[in-house]
Amino acid sequence: MASSRIEELKRQKKMEVSKKRNQIPYAILLTIAVLIIYLIITKYQITFGNYWVIGILLGITIQRSRFCFVASVRDPIMVGSTSLLKAILLAFIISTIGFFIIQYNAIASNPDIRIQEIPGQFSPVGIHTAIGAVLFGIGMVMAGGCVSGTLTRLGEGYAINLVVLVGFIIGSILGTKHFSFWDKLLISNAEAIYIPEYLGLFPTLILQLALLCVLYYIAHWYDKKSNIMASTM
Amino acid sequence: MGLYYKIVKKPWPYWVGGILLALLNISLLLITGSVWGVTTGLLYWGLFIIESLGANPASWYYFNVYSPGFRGGYTLILNPHSVLNIAIIIGALLAVLWANQYKFKKIKNMKQIFFALAGGILMGYGSRLSFGCNIGAYFSAIPSFSLHGWVFGVFIFVGAYIGTRILYKYII
Amino acid sequence: MAEYKLDCLHEVCPIPLLKALKSLEKMEIGDILIMHTDHNCSIANVVEWTKKQGHYIDYIEIAEGEWEIYIEKAR
Repeated sequence: MASSRIEELKRQKKMEVSKKRNQIPYAILLTIAVLIIYLIITKYQITFGNYWVIGILLGITIQRSRFCFVASVRDPIMVGSTSLLKAILLAFIISTIGFFIIQYNAIASNPDIRIQEIPGQFSPVGIHTAIGAVLFGIGMVMAGGCVSGTLTRLGEGYAINLVVLVGFIIGSILGTKHFSFWDKLLISNAEAIYIPEYLGLFPTLILQLALLCVLYYIAHWYDKKSNIMASTM
Repeated sequence: MGLYYKIVKKPWPYWVGGILLALLNISLLLITGSVWGVTTGLLYWGLFIIESLGANPASWYYFNVYSPGFRGGYTLILNPHSVLNIAIIIGALLAVLWANQYKFKKIKNMKQIFFALAGGILMGYGSRLSFGCNIGAYFSAIPSFSLHGWVFGVFIFVGAYIGTRILYKYII
Repeated sequence: MAEYKLDCLHEVCPIPLLKALKSLEKMEIGDILIMHTDHNCSIANVVEWTKKQGHYIDYIEIAEGEWEIYIEKAR
């Protein structure tokens, strides 16, 4: 959507712009290096090769789609746009179905499975989760990038994200060092809660998918109507 | 030219990114048995650094409760978490180079450094309390049907609200 | 029908978007804002937000990883 004046400005600028330096040779060299590294680490440990390939694809996807977890929670608050939040909810809907199938097969093949052995990510839940999430949320908005975003931006050439990374590592070390305090206060009383243990695997699946769809609809509606902080700035 | 431009130069729509990230996370769980997480790998790098400086983090309380439990051939630097994190950096670099859009971006001023460092420390500390960041404790936890993912998902909005207030007050 | 220039080089997200938003508020209908940015996300989030607001927008790449974004205030 461009007006005639914008077209004119673009045309003028295009004539001024000198020929760009070609980065494709570097791209080809790096692609070859990535393949060679794949061969080397697969030989060292086969699982490393799998992590390598998926990591490369994750990096490409995040960069190419400008995917940003910070913007997904910040932009609804700041400028009222939820397109990234909707993309994440969509990702949740797909991965919920995928994880469900994997967990279903694991449980079917071993009915006595313990929670820790179910494929997925389970951690104790409690007030510490909330405190951690709030600190994390403040930090990522201040730094302008979450952790995966920081890694991606390092690849994109942002020097500032090296500072974020250093800060993150310092914070992690401090958090690990203080862990006994938080553990005695909160975490040791908390357990990981696997929702299907209480509701059953199928009902949980249906409930979660329904909830995600409702959230998607709300996000869609919210985007259409709002601009909150921007108008009060 | 059209297809090259669309795939390599123009940003993909966010929803395409969302679908691909979901599929990659499912593939990761299917192939390796573990989900996408970022923070553990970075913690190990930190441990490696302070260990080289002479500290002994292995004696810390945290590792009595949650031992890294390295298998043979894994170290603080050579482990799946590290491989995944480095691959993400290289993957992003690869995508920018193919788009002919790589540019090294300098740090602008001290204020930027301060906010980057403070934000990073808050994220690092927070991610230890919540057992992961927005990837491990949110993006991978919710589809695992673990309650902590949903708690994290709600409270990250509270944090982002406070963060946005700080942004308006001190940065703009 | 004025033209305003906005330098957003080396800025961290979401500063380019907020700067654009602030400038647009002060501008008259028909004025054009020319943003110079090297933030990869600007060509996604600034473009999206501006379109949602109903302004005219387009951009071109002026160097490797640098763009000029043109916004004409429409309402």
